[in-house]
Amino acid sequence: MLFNAPIFVLGFLPVCLAGYFLAGKLGGGRSALIWLACASAVFYAWWDPRFVPLLAGSVAANYAIGQRILRLAGGGQVRPARRWLTVGVAANLGLLGWFKYADLLLGSLAPGATPLGIVLPLGISFFTFQQIMFLVDSAQGERADAGLLPYVCFVTFFPHLIAGPIVRPREILPQFMAPRIAIPHADNLSAGLTIFLLGLAKKLVLADSFAPLADVGFNAAAHGETLTLIEAWYAVLAYALQIYFDFSGYSDMAIGLARMLNVRFPLNFDSPYQARDISDFWQRWHITLSRFLRDYLYIPLGGSRCGTMRRTGNLMATMLLGGLWHGAGWCFVLWGGLHGVYLVVHHATRRAGLRMPGGRALTLLAVIVAWVPFRAATMDATLAMLRGMAGLNGVALPQMIIGAIPSLAAIATPVPVLRFLGDARTLSFPEASALLVLGWGIVLLLPNVHAFSERARSLAIVGGFAFTLQALFFAPKVAPFLYFQF
Amino acid sequence: MRRLAAACLASQVLYGVLFGAVLDRPLSHGFLAQQIEARLARAGAIGSPKLVILAGSNGAYSHRCETIEPIVGLPCVNGGIAVGIGLDYLFARWQAVLRPGDVVYLPMEEAQYVRSRALTEMGPDAAIMLRHDRATLATLPQRWAGACFAFDLRALLMSLIERALVAGGFHDPRAAVTGRSNDWGDHVGHTPALGAASQAVLATMAPEHPPPAQIRDGYGTTLINGFLRWAGAHGVHAIGGLPTGFADSPIPEDEAAAIRAVYAANGAGFLDLPNRSRYPRSAFFDTPDHLSELWQIAHSEALAVRLKPALERSAETARTE
Repeated sequence: MLFNAPIFVLGFLPVCLAGYFLAGKLGGGRSALIWLACASAVFYAWWDPRFVPLLAGSVAANYAIGQRILRLAGGGQVRPARRWLTVGVAANLGLLGWFKYADLLLGSLAPGATPLGIVLPLGISFFTFQQIMFLVDSAQGERADAGLLPYVCFVTFFPHLIAGPIVRPREILPQFMAPRIAIPHADNLSAGLTIFLLGLAKKLVLADSFAPLADVGFNAAAHGETLTLIEAWYAVLAYALQIYFDFSGYSDMAIGLARMLNVRFPLNFDSPYQARDISDFWQRWHITLSRFLRDYLYIPLGGSRCGTMRRTGNLMATMLLGGLWHGAGWCFVLWGGLHGVYLVVHHATRRAGLRMPGGRALTLLAVIVAWVPFRAATMDATLAMLRGMAGLNGVALPQMIIGAIPSLAAIATPVPVLRFLGDARTLSFPEASALLVLGWGIVLLLPNVHAFSERARSLAIVGGFAFTLQALFFAPKVAPFLYFQF
Repeated sequence: MRRLAAACLASQVLYGVLFGAVLDRPLSHGFLAQQIEARLARAGAIGSPKLVILAGSNGAYSHRCETIEPIVGLPCVNGGIAVGIGLDYLFARWQAVLRPGDVVYLPMEEAQYVRSRALTEMGPDAAIMLRHDRATLATLPQRWAGACFAFDLRALLMSLIERALVAGGFHDPRAAVTGRSNDWGDHVGHTPALGAASQAVLATMAPEHPPPAQIRDGYGTTLINGFLRWAGAHGVHAIGGLPTGFADSPIPEDEAAAIRAVYAANGAGFLDLPNRSRYPRSAFFDTPDHLSELWQIAHSEALAVRLKPALERSAETARTE
């Protein structure tokens, strides 16, 4: 079930909320959590019920291992606790590896071999990381013994089950253990619904408007077509906006849904395209994943405590694995590698006391360029897109533009329409230009919705609610969230 | 919560006022509306019996009433505009000007049969009806909700852009790039020279052919069925046909049979040309639905020669009845 589907908004959500608060009123917090766990199972099963046993098995096994680790660590038996931690983390990574990377490995080791065709269970990347955090925090004594029911809710809680935010056990488990968890709060309902609607608007009104622009260009590159400068740049700029509005919109919806149920999630996006430098970008983009990679991978590897070379290696390893986490493909590894290089260069220049000129613009440019392999279907498509962006395929502009500004003929070839720009109509160029100006204006000039004042949120609702309804009920097709594939 | 409800309500009111009364798209929707009205005006002016070609842009680009009319000896109007125009709207408008004895030839694009209800309801005709043709909208209750919510963010931006372009004296380049419409409603001037820019695209284009089940069950087919039944009941002779397309990508036989069956089931005729309306890729202007001008004329001549006996039979039947 998608957050942006009418069945979710009009069916699942009201029934879930009503049942949750009713169960809380009649049977207390425990009854409400049972209801919540059942509702989350229905939410997950809606996509494919075959994977509910996998999810349930993963939750049960991790809970059992986590409890054992907690007891052993609490009793001072550090080595046995570490052994169980190793077993638990390896089992989680093994499961994730089988479903997500078996075909990549097979294709890399034996090119031409028939793919295994393994279906990736929805959200496995997210609920695996959640549970690895649980095991590590158990070994470090950083969580209380919450009991099975709060743990089940911590992992399966539908707002974050399939695409995050990736929340730490100590942030969420105490909330599920609170006695007044299922008592309705008007403030939480109102604020949660507002954030949910703003997230829904980001997805349906903004992200889905940029998707066709990005798809046309990247699909053309995937089919070996030659993209000119404008076509390539417009596609990449549109994709940068699409993925931001799509994923931050999803995160806002998750935060809003959780808030309605009296659970607070951490912020996942904080105007990342306004970042001062690449390090700042990673403190603003997919914040909960960055935290996870830092606390559970980079720091355990040694972080920055073991000299420059080791630090560089740790940084690159963390970013490459972060890239691979997004998908089983070498393009994702390249994306992670590019960001690793950016971070290494950033740290080197900072240590040398150098200040990058035009830091914000340079950071934004670097991030946008890195989106190319992230979105492109293949390495060949990545190169095709980069060639277009570099102007190696020439510059073309619609005749109507050159007619209006004849001096442009000196740098651009006039064409009837740009084939790989939007709908390839006469007015596609001004339409795409206006969309991009609007989108980049929003992300570069406005704060994120969580930093909005009440008045600004109301104005945003006035501007976006009707378009959201239009897209929710009348758009000819529903576009899934980009991060579902990860 | 009250503040949120007020903001949602204000959003709806603002949306209704803006798209219902203020914003408009003179260059795109205005152009389409003008094309529709011009063809309907000619149909109204020439009386009956007449030949009307109804389809999407395949009608206008690949068929030429100017050529067909002298061969069949019947005044002709080309009602083809664009696939995006909802068939329910198209048929509703043309039913008002069709009279007993008229003949309608329908070389509908394959996409017309399988076009979904959701896509149909969100077509440009929704905005055209809401802003400029509420009389027709009133006759199509199934379109009311869609027409009121047919506007997305891109519609807002395009309204502003088109109004600004018009206000700035924008010179519409479409005629120079693709040609223009003549008095019959045919698209003319789409010469091979103008189409040269699209030849590379045409060379690699892979047309999709919907499976027969989709043709049978498509929402577009439902609308065509309704129109054919109406035509039969009102003495209008409907004749189906195949759209133009690439010779190296013929319509599969089972799909063509499904298309023919739509017309046969409603008592309408069907006209197959010996070449099944297939032409080499070099004959096309910019899409498989658009023959370039010389081939449009050739196709129309071939069609007219075969339409003539059917029209004479139709006239004979009408006289007898």
